[in-house]
Amino acid sequence: MTFTTDFSISKPVITIWVITAVLTLLSILATRRLKDVPGPLQNAAEAAVSWLEDFFGGVLGKKNAKRYFPIFGTLFIFIVVSNYSGLLPTAGEAFIIPTSTLSVTAALAVIAFFTTHSIGISRQGPGGYLKSFLKPFAFLLPLTLLDQFVRPFSLALRLYGNIYADERVTAQLREMFPVLLPLVMQTLSLLFCFIQALVFTMLTAVYVHEAIGEDE
Amino acid sequence: MTASALIALAAAIAIALSTVGPGIGQGIAASKAMEAMARQPEMAGTIRTTMILALALMESLTIYGLLISFILIAKM
Repeated sequence: MTFTTDFSISKPVITIWVITAVLTLLSILATRRLKDVPGPLQNAAEAAVSWLEDFFGGVLGKKNAKRYFPIFGTLFIFIVVSNYSGLLPTAGEAFIIPTSTLSVTAALAVIAFFTTHSIGISRQGPGGYLKSFLKPFAFLLPLTLLDQFVRPFSLALRLYGNIYADERVTAQLREMFPVLLPLVMQTLSLLFCFIQALVFTMLTAVYVHEAIGEDE
Repeated sequence: MTASALIALAAAIAIALSTVGPGIGQGIAASKAMEAMARQPEMAGTIRTTMILALALMESLTIYGLLISFILIAKM
C-alpha cells in the first residue's frame, strides 16, 4: 500500500460527484410539492423511506432507527446506486464505479467506524462505553478490541471484493463472448449489488446497536 | 519452476481452497433456514432476511481469497 500526496481529481471522485448530483436532483424533485395523494416520484420515495425505516427498526428498534435514520439511509442509498452504476454502459472504461475501488469502500468503512464509536460514546458516556467492552467476559478484552479493530477492514474488503470481482468477471466474459456471456453475469449482479449494499448497512446498524448497548 | 508458474499455481490454489469452507457453511445455514421456514411459515420473511445476511458474511471469506488471486495474477 503506497501513500501518495497526489490530490488531483481522480475518476472515481468524478463519478461520486455525478451520483451525488443525480440523487440530490431526484430528492428535490420528489419533495417539491408534497401532496396527500402522491404522484409517482413522491410515491416511490415514500415507499423507499418506509421500507428502510422498517428494515432498520427490525435491527435497532423503532426509536433508534428514526433517530439515526440519516446515516443509515445515506449509506444504503449511496452504496446501492454506486453498485448498480456498474450495469450502465461503458462502466469501468469511461467512468470507474466508486465502490469498486478500495479507497471509496475504505472511506465508507471509516465513516461506519467513527459512527459506531461516536454514537456509543454519546449514548453511554466515555467511561461507560469503554467499560462496555468488558461486557461478556473481562479476560476476553484483547479479543474484543481486536474484533473492533478488524471490523472496518472486513466491511471495506467485503464490499470492494464483491463489486470489483463482479466487474472483472464481466470484463473477462466480454473478452470471451461479446454480448451474451456478460449478460449472464450482469443478471447475477442485479442481485449481488443489492445484497452487498444491504449487508454493509445492516452490519453497521448491528454494530451501532451493540454500541448503544441498551438492554431491551 | 519459474516464478511465474509458482504465482499462477498459488493464485489457483488460493481461490480453490477459499470456496470449500464457505460452501459447506452456506449449505448448512440454508438448510437450517429452510427447515425453520417449513416449521413456521409466518416467520418466513424474517428468516429469509437473516439467512441472506449470514450467507453474505460467509461469502466474504471466499471473496478475500478471490482478492488474493487477483493480486497474484496482476504480479504474474
